[in-house]
Amino acid sequence: MKIADFVVLTLCFMLPTALTASSWKFERAIDVSGPNTGYFHHIDSSGRRNIAVSEQIIAIAWEDDRDGVPRIYLAYKGATDNNFNHDIRLSGGGEAYEPSLVALSGGRFVIAWEEDGYIHARMASLDGTPVLGPIVKVDSNPSSQVNLTTHGDRVYAVWSQRRGRFGRIHATDLRPNEKGVLKLGMACPVDAIPPTDEQLYPAAVISDGRLLVAWEDRRPKHTIIMAAVDHPGNPCRFSAAYRISEKPEIRGLPYGSGHGVSRVALGHYGHRGVFAAWEDKRDFRDGYDIWGAPFLSAESRFGSNVKLQDDFGGLAKQRHAALSGHRDGSLVAAWDDEREGNTDVVLSWQDDGVWSDDWLLPVASGEGHQSNPSIVLDTRGDLHVIWIERQDIGATTRLKYARGRRHIDK
Amino acid sequence: MNTTCLQYLASWHQPLARAIRPVFLSVAAVLLLPPICSADAPDGYPFQPFDQAMAQAKSDAKPLFVYFGRYGCGYCEKTNKEAFIDPTVKARYIANYALAYVDAESGRRLRLHSGERITERELGTRYNALVTPVFSFLTPDGKPIYRMIGVQRIEDLIEADRRIQAALAKEAQ
Repeated sequence: MKIADFVVLTLCFMLPTALTASSWKFERAIDVSGPNTGYFHHIDSSGRRNIAVSEQIIAIAWEDDRDGVPRIYLAYKGATDNNFNHDIRLSGGGEAYEPSLVALSGGRFVIAWEEDGYIHARMASLDGTPVLGPIVKVDSNPSSQVNLTTHGDRVYAVWSQRRGRFGRIHATDLRPNEKGVLKLGMACPVDAIPPTDEQLYPAAVISDGRLLVAWEDRRPKHTIIMAAVDHPGNPCRFSAAYRISEKPEIRGLPYGSGHGVSRVALGHYGHRGVFAAWEDKRDFRDGYDIWGAPFLSAESRFGSNVKLQDDFGGLAKQRHAALSGHRDGSLVAAWDDEREGNTDVVLSWQDDGVWSDDWLLPVASGEGHQSNPSIVLDTRGDLHVIWIERQDIGATTRLKYARGRRHIDK
Repeated sequence: MNTTCLQYLASWHQPLARAIRPVFLSVAAVLLLPPICSADAPDGYPFQPFDQAMAQAKSDAKPLFVYFGRYGCGYCEKTNKEAFIDPTVKARYIANYALAYVDAESGRRLRLHSGERITERELGTRYNALVTPVFSFLTPDGKPIYRMIGVQRIEDLIEADRRIQAALAKEAQ
């Protein structure tokens, strides 16, 4: 037997082990929004934050078209409840898309979304009888692709404003008051230099008191991921924007501008850890892979790019990367992955700075298609996952939820 | 500044390119590179968003020809410049198909005939446009007939059209 054949055989025997060795135990999956829907759910928001936990209340925001119009809905449940409460409609009368959701203290949440071409936001207090605050328009200019982030009770929104020819990433803070009203701070562009091409799909985190923003940028005539961080105490002043998705070695092709990347997500973990993950086509033969980069806080920049997924995913396509971190230093990534032939949700997590083998989420894999995960780690370290489930491509959808707990081998 | 584009732009005449390189690079960087190096639908073709092209395909009873591209895609640009520029290709494809262009990274929204609202990016996933370009021939209601992946030559596009039209003619008999 040739050495290469031996290596391939060995990898084949290792594969099932890599995919089934369980470090997490998940409860059964439950429907968030009723089992027989006959319509289409979407959780495709910029930065993929559609689930949040506050004081043992789990809240989920999504878009669906149950009445023929895309609208934003919210469902929630207590940590020990078996089912989610009835859906609460959050958006107004227009076509609404791509909600982003974050948690505050005391069972309160902030949700932002695009409606009729503008970014809107409101608060929801879910501790007891649900109370919705008034809807506020976050930007008076046409805008889309909002992402929220929070640290304590500070909330920031980032989005792509479409005032000029190109989208331009803007940021502002949203100050919730005790009456459930969001007061808007001053909105400012994250990149001080006016865009020469599209700036799209931003994500943000607050780390060490500073707002860190990453986004898709088409200034080199292909899509790259760029980032900037604000100056402490001066929320409208950002560092110069810089590229974080690396440029692979030029292959000498006489056409094109560069490889594609798509949809960055950010996760905050530990005291000041930040990680960015995105879809990356630098290996252009097999669609997107999941790549990322750690933020080097001492140097205030992102470090070298790393591939999050393991080698077994190399020949399959991966999409929809989501991240969530914990103050204890845990960091988990989720994405959908076709290595097993259909679309499954896969998890990977960092141990001592190294990404684990990829792990098929048992309740979100197998027959049918399970995709578009959004995840959050709660204060106990439990992982809450939502995803879209459909039997066939193009079929109507179900929105599913499951909670998992990690087992640490000692 | 994009080296691959500069290589292409300068390759048409090496000595002259060397002589005028400094000026050429400055001017090209400002004026020429963005439109030349961004791959998009080829010029002169009535490519439409997918849902509009599908509506046209139904009303005209024509197949759909869907070009799955990506901003900055090199092989898309090569196919545009070396194959879609051909007048025979242009005439055949405009006459025989409802033409759709899909940017496989775009968040542009479409509404499918199922009623689902979907982005161009997600549509690319549905039709397995893993790499770009992908050229898909679809029935008016979106069922795949045939597809071609990667760079296409003039003869590839003409042969594909010939096969599709022959199959349609046979079906009509």
